[in-house]
Order: sequence, then structure tokens, then C-alpha cells
Amino acid sequence: MFTKKKSVWLFLLPGALGLMLFYIVPFFGGIWYSLTDGSYKNAFVGLDNYVNIWKNPMYLLGLKNTMLLSLICAPLVWLLSFGIASLLNRLRPGGAFFRNSVLLPYLMPSSAMLLIWLVAFDYGGVINRLWTALGLGRVMWLQGAELRVPIILMFVWKNLGFAVIIFMAALQAIPEPLYDFARLEGAGFLRQTFGITLPMIVPTAFLVIILEWINAFKIFKEVYFIGGAYPDESVYTLQNYMNNMYGKLNYQNVTTAAYSFALIVFALFGALFLTQRQLLKRLS
Amino acid sequence: MKGKPKNAVYRPGRSKLATRGLLMALALVMLVPVAVTFLYSFFSPDEIKAFMETRGSYDAEKWMDVKLSPQMFSLTQYYEILIRDTSILRMFVNSAFYTVMILLGQAAVIPMMAYGLSRFRFRGRDALFFAIIMLMLLPFQVTMVPNVLTLRAIGLLNTVWAVIMPMWFAPFYIFLIRQYMLGLPNELLEAAQVDGAGTIRCYGHIVLPVCRPIIGAAVALSFADCWNLVEQPMTYLSQRMELQPLSVMFNQLASASTGIEFAGAAIYMLPALFIYLYFLKDILAGVQLTELK
Repeated sequence: MFTKKKSVWLFLLPGALGLMLFYIVPFFGGIWYSLTDGSYKNAFVGLDNYVNIWKNPMYLLGLKNTMLLSLICAPLVWLLSFGIASLLNRLRPGGAFFRNSVLLPYLMPSSAMLLIWLVAFDYGGVINRLWTALGLGRVMWLQGAELRVPIILMFVWKNLGFAVIIFMAALQAIPEPLYDFARLEGAGFLRQTFGITLPMIVPTAFLVIILEWINAFKIFKEVYFIGGAYPDESVYTLQNYMNNMYGKLNYQNVTTAAYSFALIVFALFGALFLTQRQLLKRLS
Repeated sequence: MKGKPKNAVYRPGRSKLATRGLLMALALVMLVPVAVTFLYSFFSPDEIKAFMETRGSYDAEKWMDVKLSPQMFSLTQYYEILIRDTSILRMFVNSAFYTVMILLGQAAVIPMMAYGLSRFRFRGRDALFFAIIMLMLLPFQVTMVPNVLTLRAIGLLNTVWAVIMPMWFAPFYIFLIRQYMLGLPNELLEAAQVDGAGTIRCYGHIVLPVCRPIIGAAVALSFADCWNLVEQPMTYLSQRMELQPLSVMFNQLASASTGIEFAGAAIYMLPALFIYLYFLKDILAGVQLTELK
């Protein structure tokens, strides 16, 4: 650790300047926009924009759908990736092929994958063939509220792998003698999972859920590709709203919507962070 | 003790077969969509066009064919894209341009910043790191606002720099590489200092080489972001259709089939596939060795 070296600013300057210029300064500067009316005189209106945005049905719809999609996607990826990482861990040191193939989708561009999803989820496509094989009726996956299902599955398909390798790294770091000892005491698989594995990976589990949540908030590409700028109201995301307002050059709405959402995001992650601290305290 | 299935964690046993079966099914789900996209790129355009036009039929009697082999193996789709009509190739070049420019800028800015944040003590360090964490947590819907305000103020909206420059300072990669550098043993740098190396020599000759796995991982993950750019070019370049990357234009290819869209997708996936294969080891090692807490 170097202490009090002036040369540190040489390393930090480009990055710090860029962060200031593109993120931090305009973030606070933008608050001004959200407090004015955007007219010729640009009068100060206090919190009127914030009051109005909470009455704006399109904003509320986008917010609701984005929250709903992320509330399904993030925990789903979290659970599945923990399960898969545990399975892969049982195959150690083998299982490299399975691990590698789960990671592949993370690198695949959503746009190029779109074609195959459109074919698979078509009314006459493979998914419906499987669906009817299970004795269920055909579903129009690409329309209306059913579109949520392919959107969620595409998200899981793409994001599972990265979460799996983070979990695997954490699982491998747990010292093996802990399990040997538990087995001597007669603890079964479930006791071992809840007594040793989960407490040992609490920080990783929180990291994964936060990373996946950040990713799930971003869900938009597939919605836009399939539904366009104004998709069905069951999948109209916050990003749709932002883009449409931005297209109309309505900066007051864009900034107000963004900052309202930022408050929600910070509240959510703040709550998660406090839960983690409490949990770690209780466990130690 | 022996042979009890409930003691099977870490132990070879019968239940491994079930595990393998389950994971095999999963691997198929992961790989088949990619493989089929490549497969369909070797169908003739006429066959693909006819196939794609059977989509969207709500006739309960009809199914789409499940095509597993072409009537005739054909490279015509590739010929159309690479030689006859190069408009898709043009957008591919746009994508490559953005990706290269973003990665070069990130390479110049991000590891240096991570080094400064992890191996030095200075005033304001905690505040700076806190700001980076906060920015990392904010979704694009929020960060696009400060980006747009600055881009508009300095007149870069609707130029290529609007897509490129904000990405140079991506907070997640600063965080990722910093966490890795925190875990480097102090002795490594102290030995260099004793030998008279300054902070810059330390960075170039010691820190960067030992950070190879995490930098490789960051390059691969960042490549995945760049190759998947949709929101930024859509909004920041809304008046410049000729500057759009291929990732934005795919839905138009998909909506009206021209018969060559699968070769377009395959060509677009190819660089991602190379990056995946080349950096796979780095991603695994980088994530494993990083203090991700």
C-alpha cells in the first residue's frame, strides 16, 4: 500500500474526470431540470413534476412492469444458479463442459438470438409442440401478457451462466473439512446445505442477487425487438417510457422519472444491504 | 457410512449419474439455440424465406416444420451478405468500431483507476469509491439522464462519441478490477519498491501482468455489453440511422424475412464466440480470485 504519494492522481485523473463529467456533475445538475417546468421561461415549480409523474399512468405502468419483471427474474436466476452451481460442485473436478456451456449465452448478443426465439415461441413453434405434448393447449407466446414468459426465459437463459460461476467460486472456497466433520456428526445433504453452505456464502449470495437485479432492471431489448416502442401494456417497461419521453424531448419528464426510479432503487438495495448486515451479525 | 446417498456431497456415487443427466439437459437448452442459428445459416435463402413465412399463422391445424437439415447445403446467405449486398456488413463494421473504441478507452482508463483506488491511501478515496458503487447500482434508465445532459451540453449527441465516451468510465469494471487488485499480496509490491521501482513501473511491470485474468474477464464481459448495445445508439443516435450498429437493426431483419437473416446472426455471433473461447479461462480464474464482496 502506497501512502500519500502524489502520483496517485496521475492514475485517477482520467477516470475521475470522466466520471465527474458524464455521471456525477450532470446527475446533480439534472435535479434542476426535474424542478422546473421546461417552458420558455423555465420557471421553478418545486416538486410539481414529482407529484405529476406519480399520477402519470404510462410512467406507473412502466415502473410496475419493470419492477414486476425484475422481481421475478432476479430471484429466479438466483435460485437456479445456486442449484446448478451446487450440482456442478458435486462433479468437481469434472463438469467443465457443463459449466462452459452454461456460460456461453452470456456472450451471445440478444439481437442475433432473437431470430431463433421468434421461431421457437411461434404459435406453431417448438415450444408449443412441447406444450401440447404435455397435454396443454397452444399459447400465443409472442402477444399480450403471455409475452412476459419468453422475456423472462430469455433473461434467464442469458444471465444464468455468470451467476453460476460466481456461486461456484464461492462454493469451492468453503473448506472441505467442514463437510467431513458434518458428515461424521451425521448431517444429511439438507443439513449441510443450510448449516454450512448457505451461511458461508451469504456475501456472495447478496452480490449475485444485486447483480442480477441490476441486470433485470435493464430488461428492454427483447421487449423492443418483439413489441416495438409501444408494446402490449403488460410488457411496457420503464425504458420504453424513458425512450418515448426522450424522443419527445421532454427533459422534465425524463429527469423526474429517472430520479424517482433512482430513489426506489437505492431504497431497495439499501434494504438488501441492511438485511445482509443483520444476517451476517446473527450468523457470527 | 459408505453408500448412503444423503452423504453424497463431494462423494462419488450413484447420484452423480442423475446430476450428469440433469446438467446435460441444461447444457442442451443452452447450446441448441446457438447451434441451430448456425445450422440455419447454411440453408438456402429461398428455403429460409419459405420457412420464416410459416410463422405467425394462428391456424390450430398447422405447425411450423422442425427443420434439422437443409434440402441443400448452401453458402448463398453468406454470399449475399458478404459480397452482393453489403448493407448488413456496413452495420457490422459500425458495431466493431464502437466495440474497439470503447474497449481501447476502457483499457486506458479503468485498470489505472482501479490501481489508484486499491493500492494507495489518499484523501477522498472512500468518497470516490462510494460514488462508483452508487453509480454501479443505478440502472441505465437513470444513468442515461446525466449522460444525455453532458452529451447535449458539449454537442456530442448524434455523433459516434455519444455511444463511446460514457462507456469508458463504466463503474462495474472499475469495481471488478479494484476488488481483484485488493487481493494482491503486499510483498509483491514491496519487493519492487525495494528494488527502486516507482509507482508507474510497479503498475506497468508488476500489477498489470499479474492482473491478466481479471483484465481478460473484464474485456470479455465488456465486449458482451458493447456487442449488445441497443439502448444507447437508439437514443443517442436517433437521427443517424447510418451510424446504428447491427445489434439495433436485427428486429427489422426479423420482421420481414429476406432469407439471409440467419447468416447475419451467425456472422454477428462469430466474434462473440471467439471472445468466449479465448477468454473463457480468464473469466473463470478472474471471478474465482476476486474478492467479490
